[in-house]
Amino acid sequence: MARVFYPLERFAPATPTFHLLPFRFTRLNGKELLVNEAGEFLFVPRGTVQRLTDESLDTDSALYQDLKAKQFLYDNSSSPLLDILATKIRTKFDHMCGGTKLHIFVVTLRCEHSCEYCQVSRQTATRGEFDMSPETADRAIAMMMDSPAPAVTLEFQGGEPLLAFDVIQYIIPRAKKLARERKKDLDIVVCTNLACVTDDILLYFRDEGVKVSTSLDGPAFLHNKNRPRPGHNSYEKAIEGIERSRAILGMESVAALMTTTAASLDHAAAIVDEYVRREFHSIFLRPISPYGFAVKTRHRTGYEMDRFLDFYKQGLAHILKVNRDGYRIAEVYTQILLTKILTPHSTRYVDMQSPAGEAWSVLVYNYDGDVYASDESRMLAEMRDWTFRLGNVHKDTRRSLFTGDPALQLFQASCNQALAGCSDCAFQAYCAADPVYHYATQGDMYGHRPTSGFCARNMEVIKHLFSFIEENDRDTMRILWSWITGKPLTEEVVECA
Amino acid sequence: MDESGSISTPDANRIALEIDRGLVSAEALLKASYWFSRDFVCEIRNRNDQIAEVVLRPRNSASVVDAASIQDSFITSAMDFALREKIDGKTSGVRDLLLAKAFSEAGVLEDEPQGIFGDAVEEAKPESMFKILGTPRF
Repeated sequence: MARVFYPLERFAPATPTFHLLPFRFTRLNGKELLVNEAGEFLFVPRGTVQRLTDESLDTDSALYQDLKAKQFLYDNSSSPLLDILATKIRTKFDHMCGGTKLHIFVVTLRCEHSCEYCQVSRQTATRGEFDMSPETADRAIAMMMDSPAPAVTLEFQGGEPLLAFDVIQYIIPRAKKLARERKKDLDIVVCTNLACVTDDILLYFRDEGVKVSTSLDGPAFLHNKNRPRPGHNSYEKAIEGIERSRAILGMESVAALMTTTAASLDHAAAIVDEYVRREFHSIFLRPISPYGFAVKTRHRTGYEMDRFLDFYKQGLAHILKVNRDGYRIAEVYTQILLTKILTPHSTRYVDMQSPAGEAWSVLVYNYDGDVYASDESRMLAEMRDWTFRLGNVHKDTRRSLFTGDPALQLFQASCNQALAGCSDCAFQAYCAADPVYHYATQGDMYGHRPTSGFCARNMEVIKHLFSFIEENDRDTMRILWSWITGKPLTEEVVECA
Repeated sequence: MDESGSISTPDANRIALEIDRGLVSAEALLKASYWFSRDFVCEIRNRNDQIAEVVLRPRNSASVVDAASIQDSFITSAMDFALREKIDGKTSGVRDLLLAKAFSEAGVLEDEPQGIFGDAVEEAKPESMFKILGTPRF
């Protein structure tokens, strides 16, 4: 009986049994980190990406099952789940839905402080010509309510907005009336240094449901150095204002923000401790903004991004220790990024969105009626650069704002999916485009990622957070999850501290 | 040294690499060079059909301190971009489909997507995965 070989096809490479789904990757801590279009991630052994691309991955391995479960690949048994991946992607972009939600009203440029890092060219406290007029306020309110968003936030800024309290009193009832007519929810926030707040003002805010956001840069020596005012008592005024505000508005209606100057860099723990001492449960370790007046004083207040990142890591380490010791306080930037990394959702934080939140998610109505794409855009205008002035409430409609040349140029550079350096980045789903920042710092809306402070900051912070995730320390992750979910620290965490 | 590249003549003020063009495309080299452009002026030349030469010159006046480490980093980066090209080649179609589907159902597309959106095999099934339902009209 003759013996024959199997046909040649029998020895051909087997037909691939799986197909790749789109993902990006980077190398981190000796492993490969894979991130899919919906921001889901997986740490895998080195060489996995190579095995995926040449289709040599063992389909019986646990790694294969993990990759399939996280939708980095699919096969015949998992293909129907692709609809779910599309839904996850849509969820990750839900910040795009509804139109502009945050509307910042610059009711005055007047201020009695003279902070070196201030982004605004403040005017003296008595110059009323830098206040928003009733006619301008009416037009700005109408434009805000033209947004399709079912819920909008009206934020008063300055200068020091309480110096134009009469303008605030003019705007609030009119905004509320129009919101009722348009069936929109309306939140109102005042960003104030609280130096000139009175009980009458606070009682008005209480009755109108207005929340207060103030500045607290750290302990007295640092706050007063950063925020000079007549009497050198900015800190004392802020603390007194915080206490009075809490007494009248309630603890939950008063928030504080800090700005990191060069003087702050050696005092991360002291700044955190000040927030704990003042019973705040969140702190935002923010770098100084490279805009407006801060540019003029950068030789005194500025620093390299590397130094800020050291400050951030020291501060975060101390915040985690404070949490382990039983006091819950969240670092806001960490909270924002971890929400993007560990949950299906994006966040409403306009500075970390793609498409960029500028104009799309926030509009700024200056005292003179000019409309800007963001607070930073307005700050550039204070330096006589009106690139991001979208229009004026007296001349434009919402449609003309969004279809004018300034807006269209901005939108072209607003998607990190289409930016050099970002398009291949594994962290794209968590990060953002910021055309205004790059224009301000590099003279180009698109920006050059290798020399970008924005990229350096986010790349390093995201890597740092992924190190926590990869390390998976039980106590640390429990604390971080409590920040994401807004739930209290469990007793178990306190006991483990 | 990775099989995709080799080092040519040592020089205190420049790093020269020879890259196999069959393994690393010009686009991957350009993308790797982009990330090295903070610290180096990068020049890419095709020496012949098989070999591309990459020359890195430090932007500051200091000479190259750790040439071997920089060469390794560049080649690793270039090879990673070559891998990303392969991934993109295998997944760009399904990425377009996923994004079109995600945003079509979200109702944010003002215009009907151009071209054919769908997997012919899948669409033939009763429970098709990729069925663009048309732009919602409000």
